[in-house]
Amino acid sequence: MTVGRDNLIKYGLIATLAIAVAFPFLSDNMFLLNLLVLMLISIIFASAWNLLAFTGQGSLGHAAFFGIGAYASTLIAVHSGISPFFTIFLGAAVAAFIGILIGLTCVRLKEWFLAMVTFGFAIIVETLTVSVLAPVTGGWDGIASPRLVSPSIPGYQFIEYYAILIITIATITAIWYIMKSRIGLAFLAIRENELEARAAGVDPVRYRLLAFAISAYLAGVAGALQICHIGYLTPDLYGVNNSFWPVTYVILGGLGTIAGPVIGTIVLTVIWEGLKGSGLTFGRYVIVGFILILTIIFLPKGLVNLPERVQAWRKERGRKGSGTKPQKSIWRFF
Amino acid sequence: MDNLGIFLQIMFWGLYAGCIYILLATGLNLIFGVMKIVNFAHGEFLMIGAYITATLFFLTGINPYLLILVSMLALIGIGAVVERLCFRPILGTGKLNEIFLSIGLIYIFQNGAAMIWGDSWQSVRSPYEGITVPVGPLSVPLDYIIIMILTAAILIALYLFLKKTKTGMEMRATSQNRKGAMLVGIDVERIDIISFGLGCALAAAAGTLWVVSGQVFNPYIGSMPAVKAFTIIILGGLGSIPGAIIGGLLLGIAENGTAFLLGGIWKDAVSFIILIVILVIRPTGLFGEKGD
Repeated sequence: MTVGRDNLIKYGLIATLAIAVAFPFLSDNMFLLNLLVLMLISIIFASAWNLLAFTGQGSLGHAAFFGIGAYASTLIAVHSGISPFFTIFLGAAVAAFIGILIGLTCVRLKEWFLAMVTFGFAIIVETLTVSVLAPVTGGWDGIASPRLVSPSIPGYQFIEYYAILIITIATITAIWYIMKSRIGLAFLAIRENELEARAAGVDPVRYRLLAFAISAYLAGVAGALQICHIGYLTPDLYGVNNSFWPVTYVILGGLGTIAGPVIGTIVLTVIWEGLKGSGLTFGRYVIVGFILILTIIFLPKGLVNLPERVQAWRKERGRKGSGTKPQKSIWRFF
Repeated sequence: MDNLGIFLQIMFWGLYAGCIYILLATGLNLIFGVMKIVNFAHGEFLMIGAYITATLFFLTGINPYLLILVSMLALIGIGAVVERLCFRPILGTGKLNEIFLSIGLIYIFQNGAAMIWGDSWQSVRSPYEGITVPVGPLSVPLDYIIIMILTAAILIALYLFLKKTKTGMEMRATSQNRKGAMLVGIDVERIDIISFGLGCALAAAAGTLWVVSGQVFNPYIGSMPAVKAFTIIILGGLGSIPGAIIGGLLLGIAENGTAFLLGGIWKDAVSFIILIVILVIRPTGLFGEKGD
């Protein structure tokens, strides 16, 4: 009795959604609710990074867009008095605009150079924030940000949670549509073979820029949401850690898939929070590092690929007497 | 001090900072040349090297300039293990994988070091602290001069190793043409391990120099010099060791000049601005690279 792959996905999706919607009714644990909100935001962030990586552009500086979205949204909200519900999207638009500018430098670069430029860009933005722009941004001290839903409204945490849940679902649906459309096909074509894509009439530069813009926009939304949730923003947002987390989530879940960022974020968050009680501070990061490396080596397509791998492995085991291939052990040293 | 004095002072600081970058960039270049991989976690080897030297110095009190050898040897071992367990299995599976794998290594090394040694800032007092030598109009700390001489010695030793020994020749052959090297009977996987180990040893030397010059260190110092080493490589050309030397000196001077003119906060950002400007003008780096 095997459950079909499509069914598995369908049931998994329905179950996840049901839990997500019903959670506030089942539990009034504010700690868990807070964790879920941060996890949803991470899912948006990871999905944004994933979209860019799907076109073959592995950014190591997505914290820059995350932070720009947060700062722009907060500053617009503080100075104009518009509700954060709208400034989130305005702030993200600023992030998208800057994403296009950085994309313009990056479109012609190879993987390594792109990774370095994006990494460096996050540091330049951080430097600007705490030096030249300090009068506006508050420098290292940061500034207070208006909450998404004012804490004076009763049950504001739940309203906020549902708002963020809706934005997350909308994000994932939007990415799914993009991937199904001609744009998604063009992304795939560019990643697989740029020369052939060009021969087929796909302009790689345009589509790469588009990927950069969408990705930066979504990362900006995630950043703005997180700051509205926390209520305070500091230049720590631009930290290297913030750039590396989406990478880790996506690699664990499965690069270039819709479900990958979601699964990766959920699994890693559970592991991360589960280890909190163990008293490890640095050890948790070491474990994350090992998870990342082991995934890359042994499960290159991520957790979404796990059922197929298990199936293939079972088939291999079932087929007895197929002869032992002289396989080179991976433990052989020289 | 007059303007010329300040200028010379900045140049000298730049030369000294450049020494650390040169060693790091040369190691990266060596690894890139042979294996065609870019290890973003290279700076972590600098940090580990720094900690090994410092720990041994605290324990034994031996002159830290001698401990550079111990540190380099230890890092050859660590580098060989990392290459064998992490990079070899994914060699040729795509450049993005190498980048992501380095992120995993950064997590492990930084926080592993923090688990062993704690994450507070530490520093080492060099035995020659306070001794200065007059050079022209300047009085220069003796440590800086030893560091420069030591860097030059290491680079000359590396040059001789690459030119004169059989292994060095095999390394050069592998970097020129991997398949060709296999055809003439070179065990390229052995060469990979040796190059990676040597690259890490150079990072360890850089870490030791970092420590003995009295700079403070903690488990997170590695990232910045590593990314600067990339800037240098892009300045000087991927795989070119003379390029790395010139690039390292230029960056060291540019950085200290900027720190003097705009304030210390710009010290890190300036190398990235240089990087981005170069890549906008020439997407393949200043001296380009052979298509791979």
